[in-house]
Amino acid sequence: MEPYEIVATTFGAVMLLLTIRELIRRKKGLLQYSFWIALWIALILMGTVPQFYYTLLFVTQALGMYTPIHFVTTFSVLVLFGAAYYLGKRIAELDDKLSAVVQHIALQTANTRTVGPKKEREGA
Amino acid sequence: MRTACIIPAFNEETTISRIVSEALKHCHMVLVVDDNSQDRTSEMSHQAGATVITHILRLGTGGALSTGFRASLKADFEAFVTMDGDGQHSPNEIPIVLDPILKGQADIVVGSRLLKQPKSMPLRKRIGNKILSIVTSFASGTKITDSQSGFRAYRREVLEYAMHRARDYRWASEMLLLAAKANFRIKEVPVTAIYLPKRQRGADIGDGLKILYSTMKRS
Repeated sequence: MEPYEIVATTFGAVMLLLTIRELIRRKKGLLQYSFWIALWIALILMGTVPQFYYTLLFVTQALGMYTPIHFVTTFSVLVLFGAAYYLGKRIAELDDKLSAVVQHIALQTANTRTVGPKKEREGA
Repeated sequence: MRTACIIPAFNEETTISRIVSEALKHCHMVLVVDDNSQDRTSEMSHQAGATVITHILRLGTGGALSTGFRASLKADFEAFVTMDGDGQHSPNEIPIVLDPILKGQADIVVGSRLLKQPKSMPLRKRIGNKILSIVTSFASGTKITDSQSGFRAYRREVLEYAMHRARDYRWASEMLLLAAKANFRIKEVPVTAIYLPKRQRGADIGDGLKILYSTMKRS
């Protein structure tokens, strides 16, 4: 086994265990963690199954790239762009909801509190 | 005409008391929306006679005004005045801003700081304001010299029909554009602007760019 295969396998295995532990602990949906689980499994496969690397090599060459690392880097950057876009959109939605909640609480509190002294303008 | 004055405030304990007291001479109710101040703004406002609403998180000027509009629309006020709580506007000029509304000449009145004393505004802000006002004028089809002024008066129907959504400084242009599109009459009157050297508030370049983009998108 090559050194990079050992590193990839070990790292992938550790991250997979941590992700599964997080999944169990938080009891969140599998879909939310599916991307990360798939990534860690791919890393483990790359380190343990040589044929997986050659499949990756095939995909890389089909896309016109020189080496698998180019493919991985480009793919990672594109995924990060997509993730950033999605997160930005999600944050904006949550920001709107948070503002609505803050305003709702302020208005509800105002309704239950007594109104401050009002001064009537003469001749109004 | 029953009038409510809405003042969005953030950390204005030094000026809010005077603003509220003077505004109460011209309006039936003064509503201070405390945008999660860390000082005694709420307490000072209440002591001066204002009705106070408090945000548990800071939303920004637009958000505070939106809350104030929603709260005051529940009562039977026919006209609404908005002004800053930092002492930039003189409450004694409320009648000037309200006058066109009372006479039926306008639906929104903007107190323009540039009609009376154009050079009182710091140069940097004047340039930014000029650019934004030109774009807002073009987008709304109405000549506006001070689109970013928070000293305004509204007829009730305007707020019932056109409520801004922006929580930051974009609210100022957004409100004018919404009103113009709904064919509400917009008028400007000259008001005094008081710029204290130590106070550095208002929109910065980043806010200005956001307002510019937002205004152009809506035109």
